[in-house]
Amino acid sequence: MICKSLIYKSLIGIFFLGLSLNISAEVSPDDGKALFRSKCATCHNKNMKSNSTGPALGGVQERWIDYPESDLYAWIRNSQALIATGHPRANEVYVQYNKSAMTAFPDLTDDDIGSLLAYINGVYDGTYGAVAGSVAVVGDAQAQEKGIGGWLYWILFAVLLLFAFILTRIIGNLNYLAAEKDGQSYQRKTVLETLTSKGVISFILFGLVVLGAYTAASNAINLGRQQGYAPEQPIKFSHATHAGVNQIDCKYCHDGARRSKHSVIPATNTCINCHSAIKYGSEYGTAELTKIYASIGYLPKGTGEYIPNYDKLSLDEKKEIYTGWMLENTIENDEDFEVVTDDLLDEIDNQWDDIVTSLTSDHRPKINGEVNIEGPIEWVRIHNLPDHVYFNHAQHVTVGGLDCQTCHGKVEEMEVVAQYSPLSMGWCINCHRQTQVQFAGNEYYESYTKYHDEIEAGAREGMTVEDIGGLECQKCHY
Amino acid sequence: MKNSQDGIWIGGKDLNHDPEFIQEAQKEVQIASLQNTVNTVGDETIANEADSSRRDFLKYLGFGLGAATVAASCEIPVNRAIPYVVKPEVIVPGVATYYASTYVKGGEYCPVLVKTREGRPIKIEGNALSPITGGGTSARAQASVLDLYDVNRLKAPQVAEDDGFASASWDDLMSSVGSALNSGSRIRIVSNTILSPSFKSLISEFSAKYPNTKLVQYDPVSISALLDANDKSFGERVVPDYKFDKADYIVSFNADFLGTWISPIEYSKAYSTKRKIKSVKGASMSRHVQVESHMSMTGSNADHRILVKPSEQSSAVAYLYNQVLGGNVGTAGLTAKAKKGLQKVAQQLIAHKGHAIVVSGNNNLGEQLLINAINNHLGNYGNTIGFTHASMQRQGSDSDMAALVAEMNAGRVDVIIIHDANPVYDYFNGAAFAAGLEKVGSKIALAYRHNETTTLCNVIAPIHHGLESWGDAEAKKGQISIIQPTIHPLFDTKQAEEVFMALAGSRFVDDEQPYFSYLRSKWSQAVGASGFTSTDAMVDEILREGLVNAGGGPELSFSGISVSEASNALVRPSSGDALEISFQEPVSIGNGVHANNPWLQEMPDPVTRTTWGNYLAVPVEFDGVKKFIGYKKLKDGDLVKLTIGEKTMTVPVIQQFGQMPGTVSLAMGYGRENGGFATQGIGVNVNDSLTVVDNYGQYFATNVSVENTGREEENFSCVQYHHTMGVTSADKNGELMNADEAALAPGYGNVFAGFQGALVERSILRKSNLNHLEEEVDHLIHEREHFEELNQQTLYPYDQYTEELYSQGHHWGMHVDLTACTGCSACTIACMAENNVPVVGKDKVAIHQEMSWLRIDRYYFGDVENPNTVYQPLMCQHCDNAPCENVCPVNATNHSSEGLNQMTYNRCIGTRYCANNCPYKVRRFNWNDFTTADIFPANQVKVNGENLPFGADNLTRMVLNPDVTVRSRGVIEKCSFCVQRIQEGKLTAKMERRKLTDLDVKTACQTACPTGAITFGDMNNKKAEVTKKMNSPMTYAVLEEVNVRPSVMYSMKVLNKDENFDA
Repeated sequence: MICKSLIYKSLIGIFFLGLSLNISAEVSPDDGKALFRSKCATCHNKNMKSNSTGPALGGVQERWIDYPESDLYAWIRNSQALIATGHPRANEVYVQYNKSAMTAFPDLTDDDIGSLLAYINGVYDGTYGAVAGSVAVVGDAQAQEKGIGGWLYWILFAVLLLFAFILTRIIGNLNYLAAEKDGQSYQRKTVLETLTSKGVISFILFGLVVLGAYTAASNAINLGRQQGYAPEQPIKFSHATHAGVNQIDCKYCHDGARRSKHSVIPATNTCINCHSAIKYGSEYGTAELTKIYASIGYLPKGTGEYIPNYDKLSLDEKKEIYTGWMLENTIENDEDFEVVTDDLLDEIDNQWDDIVTSLTSDHRPKINGEVNIEGPIEWVRIHNLPDHVYFNHAQHVTVGGLDCQTCHGKVEEMEVVAQYSPLSMGWCINCHRQTQVQFAGNEYYESYTKYHDEIEAGAREGMTVEDIGGLECQKCHY
Repeated sequence: MKNSQDGIWIGGKDLNHDPEFIQEAQKEVQIASLQNTVNTVGDETIANEADSSRRDFLKYLGFGLGAATVAASCEIPVNRAIPYVVKPEVIVPGVATYYASTYVKGGEYCPVLVKTREGRPIKIEGNALSPITGGGTSARAQASVLDLYDVNRLKAPQVAEDDGFASASWDDLMSSVGSALNSGSRIRIVSNTILSPSFKSLISEFSAKYPNTKLVQYDPVSISALLDANDKSFGERVVPDYKFDKADYIVSFNADFLGTWISPIEYSKAYSTKRKIKSVKGASMSRHVQVESHMSMTGSNADHRILVKPSEQSSAVAYLYNQVLGGNVGTAGLTAKAKKGLQKVAQQLIAHKGHAIVVSGNNNLGEQLLINAINNHLGNYGNTIGFTHASMQRQGSDSDMAALVAEMNAGRVDVIIIHDANPVYDYFNGAAFAAGLEKVGSKIALAYRHNETTTLCNVIAPIHHGLESWGDAEAKKGQISIIQPTIHPLFDTKQAEEVFMALAGSRFVDDEQPYFSYLRSKWSQAVGASGFTSTDAMVDEILREGLVNAGGGPELSFSGISVSEASNALVRPSSGDALEISFQEPVSIGNGVHANNPWLQEMPDPVTRTTWGNYLAVPVEFDGVKKFIGYKKLKDGDLVKLTIGEKTMTVPVIQQFGQMPGTVSLAMGYGRENGGFATQGIGVNVNDSLTVVDNYGQYFATNVSVENTGREEENFSCVQYHHTMGVTSADKNGELMNADEAALAPGYGNVFAGFQGALVERSILRKSNLNHLEEEVDHLIHEREHFEELNQQTLYPYDQYTEELYSQGHHWGMHVDLTACTGCSACTIACMAENNVPVVGKDKVAIHQEMSWLRIDRYYFGDVENPNTVYQPLMCQHCDNAPCENVCPVNATNHSSEGLNQMTYNRCIGTRYCANNCPYKVRRFNWNDFTTADIFPANQVKVNGENLPFGADNLTRMVLNPDVTVRSRGVIEKCSFCVQRIQEGKLTAKMERRKLTDLDVKTACQTACPTGAITFGDMNNKKAEVTKKMNSPMTYAVLEEVNVRPSVMYSMKVLNKDENFDA
């Protein structure tokens, strides 16, 4: 009877655990975040504190406090309409920002706008979860999920153990009864005797050996794998900002993916393409952006210029040039700093120290005894395939038509890039087993005549990578 | 036993059924020698490993595991990804960029495409646009990329001090050189042949500033007499344009034109166009007669060889002259057989008037004059020999050199500039040159690495490798090709031209790339004429193609020879039966010029099959009954005392079929004193033993004796008997049987005789003479049908497998034309470069551990004293029914749906079952760690005792192909059909959304081959070249009877022998 109640209880437990997973709490700031990204982020800075093309959005409700809330909602939905009505606040802002009109979003519901404002306030106050935490949140969720899986197994294990125990007792009792019936004397084993019997001990030993071997094997297989590896990079480059908010195509920077085996870490001059215009970072201001400039010797003043004889300058001269610019740029863009203060000077100094540390490398020779900050940025490589594996991006991206996200995960949401896939052979193989070859319109695949005939005859739906030899050793190892 | 063999053989041991050889052939490696070396590897001695017990093994195992775990501590190292700062537009990391350039080394010439990856040159390909080479390459051109990463390169300028040399700066060096020069100083520039017209004009600018300057050119192997003879007969000191593709009858006196003579790539290509069989019906090919004493690579390809002693070459030429023109020049010596042969040759030459070529490689003015007269009489000039595109590839003058040596010794030279040459070693009068050097005030060497000459100089200016240089080369008149740099100079070097520009005070000297500016200004003069709108456009086009056509020179007319002058200049043969020796330039390392290139050192000589050193080739005598005995009963590997004049040296012996009785021969280029790490302690130097006649170096000597020392060469690194297949043996009754058979059934007599797979007559080679071609082809077809019938006797429905597996997609196959293959070995080096095949060193070759994926087997057939030769390039045959695959316990080798026999190194646990089961013996085991991946130094391979194993330093490693795995110790490797190229070609086709064509996938050996003997492609493509060749009736598979279904097919070797030649 005990066991019945146990099963009952554990089932209830599982039910509740499952339920707790499915609960989706109402989190309007999250909706707001999505809306912000899709509609606002192209013009408004996502830190809500600095101006971009459009004004900083932080504290917008306070600025509209003198007017009914509906005015703000109307303003967000269609600013031109509100300006046309002669609304004083609307016209004031319009003039302040050089009469550049904001795009109209007539389909935004009140809830949407509420969510948006909640998100904006949350970010502005710092109460909305630190953006960097988003990866961790995902990780936690995964961990939780795994945990639940684990718990289920433990509960099942306990239940089975209990069954086994109860069954042993029942068998013991039955044997005892049978013996009694036959009039024989039967020594009933105590619980302790049962537990220390040869059978149980050898079973436990066997179990331990199996468990040990399994753990050793699975850990050995995982040796050298680094799924989830998210090292700190010399520059806090945010894919979330670039690929997510600004929706830059992955292959704009990683242009090798289309035509080479390597996707290619972009050269520093690729950064300058955009950052000759965008000179103040949404998250870190000048702290991270200046690293690019200092590594290549670019001064983004005015229309921007490459500093002549940059390699001949001493570190102090470089510092003077860049800290000077950083100071100007911060005052211009950061509302927290309007005049030169000691705090600001300290801040800039700290930033410069960090820039020098990040750009210093053991591989670069020193110049006149000084560290050399000019040169390639040494990123930490995240995706490391062993040398004996040949992987070609062009094959997968250009020929296979795969999205980058298939293997790299939602990089556009990653503040710090982490390795999404295990990059294990099993993972590769599974994908090759399941993926259909994009053969339509590619004359190359016409040489697979038999498969084409079969497809025509309806005997085959398509051909997978496996069908055309995608599992063979020398497709990847040579 | 008759004098002629129906079958084929690879050497004396094979013919004699030497039990030692048979035993050896059955083993993959020599175990006894293996143990010896393992125990004394490096400086350490591993104590009696063979005696250690199992307990020791476990102890070591446990300790090793523990140590490895601690060492690795399971932590993943942080790798860095370092991008460009500013990425060059043309470079995409991971995609190779090709640049057109030219390989030039003295007079050696080959227009090339340089494959670079991320700015590193890693492979040389031929430039197919070249009218001279048509995309062919040579082993030396292929190996030149390794020279770029030579660890012995000079890395900075050096100035002589009391004891040795000290590094200096370029400024110091230039000022010290500048101060040594003044307008009155007597300056001599010594160089090997200069092909560059721009460099020559630069030297004349230099001479304008320093009027008392003279350029002296010489060649490491001189053909000065040929040039001088042409000067006399045609008024211009040039090598004519030999058109072997227009010749039906070729007679060569000692000229190794397919291997080393003047322009071997060009000649091989042209020669093979007349030798390849296009169709069995009405087949035709040229006939080639070689007159020589030793078996040269060219001689081995000839239809007939007339054996003539080195000192009787003059007589032979004179004899032919007399026969053709009816002259009466003295012809002392000559055997009756040689005379008869030459008579036949004369008759046939006359029958082929206007379609013949007669050449001589001998450095004798008289002979060359007579040859000119013969060619003129036969009407060859204007037909098979022309001057419009006369060759510039040899310009050296022996008389200029002799004059210079005399001047130096008389103290009449103030400054000598030695440009990328090593006369102290490779000039035949090097000792006199060295003596003269001492009397010269300023001795400046422009050198790539230290050599015997640089060590005698005051100042050494380190020069660029060709791949770091700008330049041009006019190999043949009007046919110019361009040299452009493919990598930023690795060290503090300059190109020689820049040094001259600085000294001549050129206006471009302060430019970033002075010599490029110089070249550009020269090219820009031709902008208008060339139809380009701007210099930039023209330069772009020139650099893209790498070739410029600048017309050609005039045809020259023959002005007659003075027969008495010629006759007087001829060599008088030494009387009697004295032993004579001839010296040859080896196909691999030249006269020591390429000696520090380990790829070339380890490349087996095409004929003798020896590596790492020179071996005295001695004739093999037939006792008329059964045995084949080396000269003085010498066996392969015996050390002999060789006396030439007053010099004695100890050399190992190799028995050489086709070596004329009464003669021996030895390769030049070895025995370097100061040639770099790969040359240390290897071979003997014979350059100082050359005879000099009228200032012309003669590549033979007559006062020779050979004496057995009773010792044997320790590391006999001849690959002749390694990896042999189809070895025959004799049973008790002297009947031929298969050696494997005897091994399979010891004591059972012939019970197993005749079972499939153990046939006595294995079908390794098919050969035919042109006049029997149709019969032989019929015979082959019949035999193949028989094999097919045998092969059908199987439980496995093979046809069904084939249908299922290979009926769609690709089915890769290779075809090798044995008639076109000359044995030049460009393919073996190309394979090493492409596939990161390691160099193992002399001692490892000696114990069968060479790693080459592609070997060229050399077989003899016919007359045992003067046999014909077949070269058979043998690589993994990618059998569709592969015996290696089903014996692998871990499935490390298996078959792909495209017909590739795949080798997966990571799965391989080194059982070597596959290598044992391979009937072709093409699998190689990594006995040692060639890449220093192993933590135990004793496992690492050293070449000549270098501290770091060869190829393990970061400089040499730059040559590695990043698309091919570097194999570690303990795994098997073999030819992969260049799978990385297959994959690349397929990807290109896929990305361009089109069908795969023949041009997309070419293997490294295929592109390297100058004669187009190798064809690779998709056998499922009916239009592919390879499919057409596979379907030729002359095509066969090696060991077809063992039913392994190889994907490599060969076509019959065809000779054009005149069967009445010896009658």
